[in-house]
Amino acid sequence: MHERSLIQSLLRQVEQIVAAEGGGQVAEIRVQVGDLSGVEPLLFQMAFDDMVTAVFSSECQLVLEMVPVTAVCSDCEHQFEIVDFQFRCPACQTGSVQVIQGDKVKLISVTINSNHSIEGVAS
Amino acid sequence: MNQRTIVVHRDVQADQKADAAAERERLGRRGTLVVNLLSSPGAGKTTLLEATARHFAGRRSMAVLVGDLETDRDAQRLAPLVPVAQLTTGGACHLELPLVQRGLKALGDPAVDFLFIENVGNLVCPASHDLAEHLRVVLISTTEGDDKPGKYPKMFRTSQAMVITKLDLLPHVPFSIEAVTEDAHRIQPQLKVLTNCALDGSRMASWCDFLEQQHQQQLATYHEPASNR
Repeated sequence: MHERSLIQSLLRQVEQIVAAEGGGQVAEIRVQVGDLSGVEPLLFQMAFDDMVTAVFSSECQLVLEMVPVTAVCSDCEHQFEIVDFQFRCPACQTGSVQVIQGDKVKLISVTINSNHSIEGVAS
Repeated sequence: MNQRTIVVHRDVQADQKADAAAERERLGRRGTLVVNLLSSPGAGKTTLLEATARHFAGRRSMAVLVGDLETDRDAQRLAPLVPVAQLTTGGACHLELPLVQRGLKALGDPAVDFLFIENVGNLVCPASHDLAEHLRVVLISTTEGDDKPGKYPKMFRTSQAMVITKLDLLPHVPFSIEAVTEDAHRIQPQLKVLTNCALDGSRMASWCDFLEQQHQQQLATYHEPASNR
């Protein structure tokens, strides 16, 4: 159940962003969950629903996007999607591959509603 | 009402990872190799550490931080051999860096050659938390079954070594060293595979030689000129 500790970090980051933006109501938090992030999306959503009201309004929505694992071969530089957790380059068969996407939980964007008007920002 | 979207694109664990990297560098620079030991419950982490302490006695210094949900039973086993602090998570399924730092402080932050972190027995959640380790080692015992790497890919993908424990039980259980190695190498082709039987102390030399070699290799990077790193 480490999803709860990730939600805690997520909410802390969003709080800092909202404060830096001068406050407002958080309408949407968009998050990318990599297939190799170790996070189960349903448990992540449940932990969010459980914990969000302590910080933001219950209107605040969490939008999750699942991200497949992408790797690049260190030898031939071929870029490919990891299927079935096979970490071997399909082009040259080497096992020396670096994961470049899909191993993290990333905060993508925060949508804030505020009553005061801000110059230069489309409402 | 104004609505605006702030684009962030930031790792949710970025702060924790930065803290872990700083702690890893601090400990590495002063000559301490941090080893994070992970496995399911009962795979033999404490037994391996007891045998390691006996093997290194008088030659290499070590300390252990041991994580469990409750009780200090593992710490009591290790206390006659090495400095040890028990980290009790109170039900949480994994250790996080602040707990490790608190344990290290409780021990007086000793400048040992090896700091072992015996994680909570769990092949899932601990894989996602950087504890400032230089070396992540996953243990798998012959009684657990050789199909585990594929079931817990993140744990095996993020480890540098796999130690197959309880080798003495191999004749009695349906476990294939070849099958488990092949499954693990599919996920992490660079994974170093070692076999061990800590209960009778056999094969301890290969494990301890591996630790010595990692100590030398990994900590050497801190003493190279910055341009070579």
